[in-house]
Amino acid sequence: MNCELAHERIVLAAYGELPDEQVHELDRHLAACTDCSQEREQLLALKTLATAYPVTELDPNFVARSRMRLEEALDAIPPKRWYERMGQRILNNFASLQAAPVAAVLLLIVGGGAGTLGGYEYAAARSAHTAAGIAALAQAKADAQPIESAPEIANISSIEREPNSEIVHVTYNTVTPQHIQGSLDDPSIRQLLMLASENASSAGVRDDSVGLLAAECRAGHGCQGEGIRDALMQALRYDKSVAVREKALEGLQPYVAEDMRVRDAVLEALLNDSDARIRTTAISILEPVEADTSVRQVLSTVANSDHNPHIRTVSRQVLSRAPEIQ
Amino acid sequence: MDGPDRAQERLQARAPETELIREAQAGSRAAFDALVRQYEQQVLRLALHLTGSEHDAEDIYQEAFLKAFRYIGNFRFECSFYTWIYRIVTNLCLDQLRRKKTRREDQAVVVDQSGDEIDVLSSVSDNRSFSNPGKELDRKVLGERIQAALSKLTPRERMVFELKHYQGLRLRTIGEMLNTTEETAKNTLFRATKKLRTQLAGLR
Repeated sequence: MNCELAHERIVLAAYGELPDEQVHELDRHLAACTDCSQEREQLLALKTLATAYPVTELDPNFVARSRMRLEEALDAIPPKRWYERMGQRILNNFASLQAAPVAAVLLLIVGGGAGTLGGYEYAAARSAHTAAGIAALAQAKADAQPIESAPEIANISSIEREPNSEIVHVTYNTVTPQHIQGSLDDPSIRQLLMLASENASSAGVRDDSVGLLAAECRAGHGCQGEGIRDALMQALRYDKSVAVREKALEGLQPYVAEDMRVRDAVLEALLNDSDARIRTTAISILEPVEADTSVRQVLSTVANSDHNPHIRTVSRQVLSRAPEIQ
Repeated sequence: MDGPDRAQERLQARAPETELIREAQAGSRAAFDALVRQYEQQVLRLALHLTGSEHDAEDIYQEAFLKAFRYIGNFRFECSFYTWIYRIVTNLCLDQLRRKKTRREDQAVVVDQSGDEIDVLSSVSDNRSFSNPGKELDRKVLGERIQAALSKLTPRERMVFELKHYQGLRLRTIGEMLNTTEETAKNTLFRATKKLRTQLAGLR
């Protein structure tokens, strides 16, 4: 390490922004370099000096006066009319569509799919009716014929018996099961896992998919894209199964310091999750960002109002440990 | 057992910020007031420390929340609300620092409610030296020197130093607030500390 780089790192280290591995490297350099060692002493002296101009506590009268003035100014603003709010909402929606062309494409695909399916259902219903006469004539033959695609029947949507007849109309849907195998790094496998984490009706399938995605993230296997993180955040926020939410939380752990959305999702879990285990895990996961103002705010809320005494105690301990934001 | 009031308080404390923002976007003044109460102390403390003037800090506070009220409909949850409101405040503070830099000569004055000017540093007390007037004076002089040195920084350097040293924010967050990268924030902090050390060399 050269001295110029060391000087930069001294500043970062003094403010707790240098990664651990670089701290050791810097320490080794400082042990051998007198100039850089002096540089660090000078910086630490500056930090001490700067405390002579501290951030003071606010005078409550000053806060009250400012708030009163603001309230008067806000009262003077006429409330937005309904059409203004509506216009704003449309603009926002338009902006989010612009920002997410994928969403627009998906909407198009879903719309097209729904149209095709509707057309198919209609045609199937019509053909079932016209085939009824033929079916009556060929009843004996039909009795002898098993439905070839029986294993592919997904569900029976309707059963209707013709009056005074043995003829029955059965409308059923078929589905062809598919199987795919591949590496966890395979994008199509990941896509299926993400779909399963959000849509699978079985908690076991969601648990498996979220568990696999989380393990990939923890192992640092290409979770840099937002898709997997989004799926894990979605599971953490909305999944009904505690086990699934817990796995999602663990998977998000490596990104809590670098991705503010992840931090916010973990904070939401700490505030709102009904399960004490999830809230406790959330506190430990927040350790790298515990000095952040928003984290401290949530921790102090939890320290005062969480109904679980253990969580209140842990929050207080973290708050007392982290440096004051002053 | 908790009473209904306590339960209500707890419910309010837990009301997710997202809900408050959505309600404020839908036109709820009460929701916006709740957001103001959540952030007003931090906003005032930052503005007061940066400008050294209660009058300026109050103006910045007022303007920031009025702007937030007008434009909250544009907030699209792409960053935290905290970053969004701080972005508004830091921009206003930067404007103020730029204006001040052209007309001020290291004066740290506060205009109180009656319109009288008082030295802001004389109101900065330190319990450790309270019983020692000599030490108190030294500290006051030192505080003035620090403030003078801070005022020699460019507004941006001053802002980054303030947010890092005094407010304890991460460089990544500072970058987001100032619409720049973490790397640029890092370089700016480096320059600021270098300049301050030169300015304050005689004091060590």
